[in-house]
Amino acid sequence: MKHRRHVLIWLAIGLMLAFVLSACSAPQPTEAPPSSGGEEKPTEAPAKTEKVTLNVIMEEVPDYDIVAELTKQFEADNPAIEVVFDAMPYDAMRDKILTSFLAPKATYDIIIVDNPWMDEFGNAGYLTPLDDYIAKTEGYNYNDFVGPLREIGEVDGKIYGVPYYNYALGLIVRQDIFDDKGVAVPTTLDDYVKTVQSLTTDDFYGAAMQPQRGYKIFEEWKNWLYGAGGDLTDDQGKVIINNDAGLKALELYIETYNTAAPPNSLNWGFDEALRAMATGQAATMLSYNWMLPTLNSPDGPAGDLAGKFQLYEVPGGKAVLGAWHWAIPKNSQNADAAWKYISWITSPSVDKERVIKGGAPIRVSVMQDKEVWEKGFGEQYYTTVLSILEDAEPLATGNHAEEIIEVVGTELNAAVAGQKSAKQALDDAAKQVEEIMNR
Amino acid sequence: MVTRRSLFPFSVRLIVPLAIALLVVLIYPLIFSFWVSLHDYSLTALDDVRFVGLQNYLELSGNPSFWNALRNTLIFVFGAVFLETILGFGLALLLHRPGHRFTNVFRSILLTPMFITPIAVGLMFRFMLNQQLGVLPYLLDKVGIQIDFFGSQLALFSLILIDVWQWTPFMLLLFLAGLESLPAAPFEAARVDGASWGFTLRKVTLPLMKPVILVALIIRGLDAFKVFEYVYAITRGGPGDSTETILYYIYKVAFRFFRMGEAASMAYVLILITMALVIVLYRLMTQEEA
Repeated sequence: MKHRRHVLIWLAIGLMLAFVLSACSAPQPTEAPPSSGGEEKPTEAPAKTEKVTLNVIMEEVPDYDIVAELTKQFEADNPAIEVVFDAMPYDAMRDKILTSFLAPKATYDIIIVDNPWMDEFGNAGYLTPLDDYIAKTEGYNYNDFVGPLREIGEVDGKIYGVPYYNYALGLIVRQDIFDDKGVAVPTTLDDYVKTVQSLTTDDFYGAAMQPQRGYKIFEEWKNWLYGAGGDLTDDQGKVIINNDAGLKALELYIETYNTAAPPNSLNWGFDEALRAMATGQAATMLSYNWMLPTLNSPDGPAGDLAGKFQLYEVPGGKAVLGAWHWAIPKNSQNADAAWKYISWITSPSVDKERVIKGGAPIRVSVMQDKEVWEKGFGEQYYTTVLSILEDAEPLATGNHAEEIIEVVGTELNAAVAGQKSAKQALDDAAKQVEEIMNR
Repeated sequence: MVTRRSLFPFSVRLIVPLAIALLVVLIYPLIFSFWVSLHDYSLTALDDVRFVGLQNYLELSGNPSFWNALRNTLIFVFGAVFLETILGFGLALLLHRPGHRFTNVFRSILLTPMFITPIAVGLMFRFMLNQQLGVLPYLLDKVGIQIDFFGSQLALFSLILIDVWQWTPFMLLLFLAGLESLPAAPFEAARVDGASWGFTLRKVTLPLMKPVILVALIIRGLDAFKVFEYVYAITRGGPGDSTETILYYIYKVAFRFFRMGEAASMAYVLILITMALVIVLYRLMTQEEA
């Protein structure tokens, strides 16, 4: 009898645990954002004398820290407006933004939009057109933003977003190694492959790559695709990723992964590649242009190697462009105040301050400013970034960019893993991209 | 007065609040998601929701990603639950020592993995098995072994092992409870008859434990079908699509691509498949008994 009771208790505990644990672990992506800080405050604009609270969704990246610091100045100048940031990791953002769009009253008065989402959100009618605001803002100088960055924020002739920061790719190299060996920094794809192979030894690698499935590998490989003369689609929008140029780019990429990249790096994203560069294991990587100041900072991850890194345009010249834009949701109750803040943080003078503090540049005038060169990271860095930005294109555009990036990135990774031939992977990718575009 | 009382007896009235709660939180979402699965329902085109009948279901048959995800999930479920059952049962036999002084200490230690939230377990192993930072690859490298735990050959198997690490204690808990509930008489009889340990295990312990094993398999199997956290935290479905499980795929279609109709139809297919598996398992276990 005593045993029986014992058993029942154990079973009850077990079942309870099963339920509790599975409830804890069930993913709940649709949930409203957790109330942290000021979110509980009313979002609508109350009577004149009361404060307007702007809720802003942000990604936790170095550029956010700079913006948060600068914003104190804005709040001091505009006591009637309070800016509350809700910063989170990238993965949490997309569904939170969408939930806010669908809510009767917006959770966020200001959002930041990653470039693959821009057409999708703009066409869905979730964003406020900014054309009138921009026209009315004196001294804003919209055309000062680098052209390719402006284009991302424009959907069907209307402006839905203004640039926040860029993440275009460049070639980062260990200049000391290139100088010691008397090797020139490659400017074509074929040269790049030969160079990184020649720099590879038993415990040192020519290229720290990022072949991780999905966004990462596509972001890196599309530079190779441009370098080989290919593209995702041609001018008429026909998918050409699997033509000869595409095949050459992927075969070279796989060859380089097998001969010049650290072993077992199939799952590497940019963190791992950066770590390999910072610890002196690799000579080059294709990465975001603003990784250079990070690597060259004496307090940064590279330690004694700081100062030995240099930035160039990617081999072939044309680079993949990534960018974040500021935007105002249609259902925001505080659109005017939101624009007041956005136009302030992106204005020529504040943007200059932001870039001097280390923010990724977006304005031509700022990148050509002598004061920025002196107080920032030097003339060569800013002129290189400007030339990268002027010849750069986003990974994919249109309403289904997010999905296109995912399927192409999966096929590419499968080819590098050896699960498919390069030809097969590109054909499969092209077929899926066509299906997605026709949807 | 009398009729009202017989229409709504006390017992029925007690159930009403619970029934309403269930209706709201369980039945309504079920019906709504079924309705969604019959429509072309995209979160970025809510003014263009169209009835498409069974099209979402029919298109699944030609969707290789869905079937690949299902195949990966089945490998994961069978692999993980099989290993957990064997290990859990073995550990339960070892721990079934009534009256031993340290039994409770060992039990508590062995149960700890279960109390960690799975996403944390995923992150833990992601770093422990990481090629650059991980302690395990580092130690293996010291003795000349190089293993890429999340390479295309091993990734799914590594995820299975992580699941085994975390959930074997759950099996252990159920089996231990089962063992303690067994009547003493058959074992005494077996001992008197001179049956060996192995013979007793096969002919007495296992048959008596069958109902507990069935319950354990069903609970753990259903739970393993829901694997998401390890995939999300570690591989994101890669390399290629070798660790893309069904829930991760559904999550992707629903909350990254916002195609709710398609995702809902997949969820319903998943429910049907798990129900079928549970029925088959139940039949198998009860048939032998008869």
